[in-house]
Amino acid sequence: MDSDEDERIPFSQRAEWSDVKPVSQDDGPNPVVPIAYTDDFRETMDYFRAVYQSDERTHRSLALTEEAIDMNAGNYTVWHFRRLILETLNADLHNELDFIERIAKSNSKNYQIWHHRRWVAEKLGTKATELELDFTRKVLSLDAKHYHAWSHRQWSLQVLGGWEEELDYCGKLIEEDIFNNSAWNQRYFVITRSPLLGGLQAMRESEVRYTVEAILANPDNESPWRYLRGLYKGDTSLLLSDPQVVSVCLKVLSTSMNCVFALSLLLDLLCLGFQPDQEFKSVVESLRTSDSATPDSNLAKTVCSVLERVDSLRSNYWAWRKNNLPSPAVQS
Amino acid sequence: MDAGQSSLSPTTSFDRDRHVRFLKMMFHGLPSGYQEQEINHLTLAYFVISGLDIFGALDQVDKEEIANWVLSFQARPKSKADLENGQFYGFHGSRTSMFPPDSSNVLIHNNSHLASTYCALAILKIVGYNLSSIDPDSILISMKNLQQPDGSFMPIHTGAEADLRFVFCAAAICFVLNNWSGIDREKAKDYILNCQSYDGGFGLVPGSESHGGATYCAVAALRLMGFIEDDLLSKMTSSSIINVPLLLEWSLQRQTIGGGLQGRPNKASDSCYAFWVGGVLKILGAHKFLDKEALCEFLLTCQSQYGGFSKFPGQLPDLYHSFYAMSAFSLLEEPDLKSLCVELGVTDFAA
Repeated sequence: MDSDEDERIPFSQRAEWSDVKPVSQDDGPNPVVPIAYTDDFRETMDYFRAVYQSDERTHRSLALTEEAIDMNAGNYTVWHFRRLILETLNADLHNELDFIERIAKSNSKNYQIWHHRRWVAEKLGTKATELELDFTRKVLSLDAKHYHAWSHRQWSLQVLGGWEEELDYCGKLIEEDIFNNSAWNQRYFVITRSPLLGGLQAMRESEVRYTVEAILANPDNESPWRYLRGLYKGDTSLLLSDPQVVSVCLKVLSTSMNCVFALSLLLDLLCLGFQPDQEFKSVVESLRTSDSATPDSNLAKTVCSVLERVDSLRSNYWAWRKNNLPSPAVQS
Repeated sequence: MDAGQSSLSPTTSFDRDRHVRFLKMMFHGLPSGYQEQEINHLTLAYFVISGLDIFGALDQVDKEEIANWVLSFQARPKSKADLENGQFYGFHGSRTSMFPPDSSNVLIHNNSHLASTYCALAILKIVGYNLSSIDPDSILISMKNLQQPDGSFMPIHTGAEADLRFVFCAAAICFVLNNWSGIDREKAKDYILNCQSYDGGFGLVPGSESHGGATYCAVAALRLMGFIEDDLLSKMTSSSIINVPLLLEWSLQRQTIGGGLQGRPNKASDSCYAFWVGGVLKILGAHKFLDKEALCEFLLTCQSQYGGFSKFPGQLPDLYHSFYAMSAFSLLEEPDLKSLCVELGVTDFAA
């Protein structure tokens, strides 16, 4: 067998560690649910324990934390000690960013890595603004719904800035995958919190147009429907009075009769007191099938009945809605 | 043997015996693959022990041995004065984060953690240990050091991310110890409310995408703290601190065409959300609105021939997904499983 340069040499055989006495793990009383540690793991942690207890903050102990992290990237004690070493050595934190990027390739769904990244970025301050956007963009290019990456990106924008192209970035991701709910969430984040835009009120009109277009492209996509509703958060009267809201529902239903999201939005509007016009009534009427029992006494009940049929997975829920309509809905 | 193929063969029913065997095997030893999660050893133990409890299969384990083992992870202050030093005196999660006190018995390396503390207390409850003897005051007083100005909780005083998971852990700890001095409930509530997204679900931190796991943490914590009453559905139109109708609809929409539950819109169904989202619905009194048969069918496609459950259909089982799928079956009222106190993550009997 060829000697592989990646083949691990035990610490006990490394000359530069010969002065250190490894500290074995004290498993305490009869261990419950014991883990079958590999020898490599056990030995690495034995040496970590040694330097941690002697509080050795040197380049070799820094390298040791790297090995320990490679084996067990979730160990927050090791990460914390690494941070102490970095501070003591006054290490160049740009190198640390590279280290994190390397580790993240095989461990990206790990809270400790992202917390460490945040710690480094915080220390670098605005020098890290573009770097954090770049890094998260890279991770998102491999997994556009990566929860940690999105959290970090949001943190980074809020603390280090860099909002200039964020709305465009959201637009690009939505274009690549209109079903990417994370991108829609980020869009909401940007329009409500970016210091460069005017806030929800100012952005509402253009965002409604954008969202309606997305809905019409894929009416069965939950994301833009939620987003549309979110655009009227805290302003029910506007939700009820903006003609674009009802109109997108009716438009969708004219070609996709089974669209659950359109129907449930209509139901919600009725429950909030929406006064339906004739067009609304006839669209809903046309959705009733001839085999439905006695026609429901009002529009909201009819919508619920249709939903019971087309969203059968949740038929219990729609039946319950039908029997628990608030008074504004029962009057129409 | 083609493991992939055989685990896809139709399993028509819940394989109770195999799951108990799986858990018992894990109880006696976790394979080396779990060393990557070693830092959360107590959490892994919680999955196994609480899992066995759900099956009513704890009779053959030594409860005293378990209690002693859990207690050995506790971080003890040297004196009451230590409780003001900014550290948290809870339970460590593993031996790799535990170090002995110095010669004058001062714990200089205290890596006790909120999540491990929750798991420790849960296990102790399950095995019937009397919690008054563990010095609950030290836990509660020092826990206050972890709460942030915005109401969130950091899990460890040396610094870590603060999010809804640890608000849940803090609330659960206080609930189990029946003492709310460890948490400013109003602030915690405010933080939780700030995490409710425009679509009704909750994200892990304010602004983040609503997510099944985060939503469970939010709703369970509110319930534990007494901010969500029973029979919430009948009170939907009256004032509630969270937007219940939106939350309800968001949660129900997580059930996909295959019957499984997803954690976020437009993502694949994953067995653990049967508990996270199913649990939210249970707390709201809306579990009846799920299509239980369809959910059951999906979970059975994640059932492994080795016992346990996998994340997605036809994969190898892991302890995390096994525990949450088993918990979900309890919520689905699978016969011969103990009922759960959903918001606490232990059986009703243990709670």
